Amino acid sequence: MSQFLPVCKIDDIPDPGKAVFEVDDRFIVVFRLDGEWHALDDCCTHDGGPLGEGDIEGFQIICPRHGARFDIRTGRAMTMPAVRATPYHQVKVEGDDVLVKLSEE
Amino acid sequence: MSTTTEAGFTQEAFEAFLAERREPDWLRRRRLEAWRRFEELPIPRGGEEWRRTDLRAFRLQRFGLPLLPPAEAATPEGLLAEGVPLAGRAVSFDSLSLHEELDPHFARRGVLFGSLDDLVFEHGDLLRPHLLARAVDPHYDKFAALHAACWQGGTLVYVPRGVAVGRPLYTLSTLSSGGVDLGHTLIVLEEDAEATVVGETASSDSEGGGLHCGAIEILLAPGARLRYVNLQNWGNGVWHFAHQKARLDRDASLQWTIGALGGRLAKVNQHVALVGEGAHAQVNGVMFTEGRQHLAYHTLQHHETPRGTSDLLYKGALQDRSHLVWRGMIKVDPDAQKTDAYQRNDNLMLSEQARADSIPGLEIEADDVRCSHGATAGRVDEEQIFYAQSRGLTRKEAVRMIVSGFFQQVFDRIAIDSVREVLGRAIGRRVREYQET
Repeated sequence: MSQFLPVCKIDDIPDPGKAVFEVDDRFIVVFRLDGEWHALDDCCTHDGGPLGEGDIEGFQIICPRHGARFDIRTGRAMTMPAVRATPYHQVKVEGDDVLVKLSEE
Repeated sequence: MSTTTEAGFTQEAFEAFLAERREPDWLRRRRLEAWRRFEELPIPRGGEEWRRTDLRAFRLQRFGLPLLPPAEAATPEGLLAEGVPLAGRAVSFDSLSLHEELDPHFARRGVLFGSLDDLVFEHGDLLRPHLLARAVDPHYDKFAALHAACWQGGTLVYVPRGVAVGRPLYTLSTLSSGGVDLGHTLIVLEEDAEATVVGETASSDSEGGGLHCGAIEILLAPGARLRYVNLQNWGNGVWHFAHQKARLDRDASLQWTIGALGGRLAKVNQHVALVGEGAHAQVNGVMFTEGRQHLAYHTLQHHETPRGTSDLLYKGALQDRSHLVWRGMIKVDPDAQKTDAYQRNDNLMLSEQARADSIPGLEIEADDVRCSHGATAGRVDEEQIFYAQSRGLTRKEAVRMIVSGFFQQVFDRIAIDSVREVLGRAIGRRVREYQET
């Protein structure tokens, strides 16, 4: 079963901001927005694009390849050309540490 | 048990490797040139060729040159040669030759078969025009350059003019957990020669890691006929990078079947060049992926001269969250009139999360040709499962039967019985419960 794993310190990511980490052979993007922490697979479900290199607009991340948007708080696909959600991972902060629990998806 | 490796592909390790090899000057110079290219080039990322294949998790420095021969290698068993009368057999472990034999009948007729390491020393002048000179481009990318600089072990098949090797020549390349294989396969058939070569790979640990950075070169002189089967069956943690190219001269004929079952990530460039009139190539691919495997095949059927025919059929079944990429191109040069070329890729999706990318392409500069392509992706039909269950099969048996039927079209094209049976069994074992969501 997956458990929470430390990925960075809170000061490593500004607010608003994001960073990509390798966790257990997977690449994930950790977001810090308005004091909230979220994490998604660093992979657009349309064409495999690197979401971590995209722009943030509100609570949406925009894939740099074809402009698909995903809800940072759930992973849901919001616009074409993506139609499927990208996996969402739980994030928690303990002291200065940011920890992520990988989804089983 | 594993061989000793030097940490990282460093300049010192490369120099030590060169120093201990007894190789002709021309080969040494080629290695040095490729090493310079290897050092210049970055690990590929992005661009059309790599955009679907993410190498961020790949750490080249975790691997290094295998330097010492294995003491007591417990090599994994191969699958394809069981019960097949062979003309020759060669086995390697982490690139290093362990065993080789060739029927003396064929040796007397001038056939060469065995470790390329030894044969390049004994037959340097014969191999110089062929080795990494006419087929695979050693400077194509970082992996091609690394291979050209550091290849070791591997296999040579050389069949002189007019000689037919009636039974298969068999090679097994094996890898320790975390080991490195840099084997090079060179197959040269002179005019009107004929051979069947069956090669496969295996890891000592089916879940083990490792690195294969290899190349296959096939050079067919006019009228030569080759049947070649190549099964990639590494452990599920192995990184597999390969450049594979065949050159077919006038009226030469090639049937090339690849199977891909193992590997954590595979990136293979398979290229068939028809450089002589009337050459014929048939390319078959059978892939089964599971877990988080990522296999990427980039194929090119390049018609350079008139009246060539090529026919490619790749079939893949995908389970779990695996990812299969096929990007195929038929390229027809202006002079290659009367070309007849076809390419097809079918994928059977066995889970919701699996992903298949099929990208066929045509680049045609002649105006009197027949070229076409097709690609499909689909799920297992619930109606078919229901029907099979109504005849007394379990759901799992039904799915296995449907998967087997899916591959039948490509199995029918494989002339070697043992290969058909082994591939069918290996795939059947991997199929798990299919649940439509």
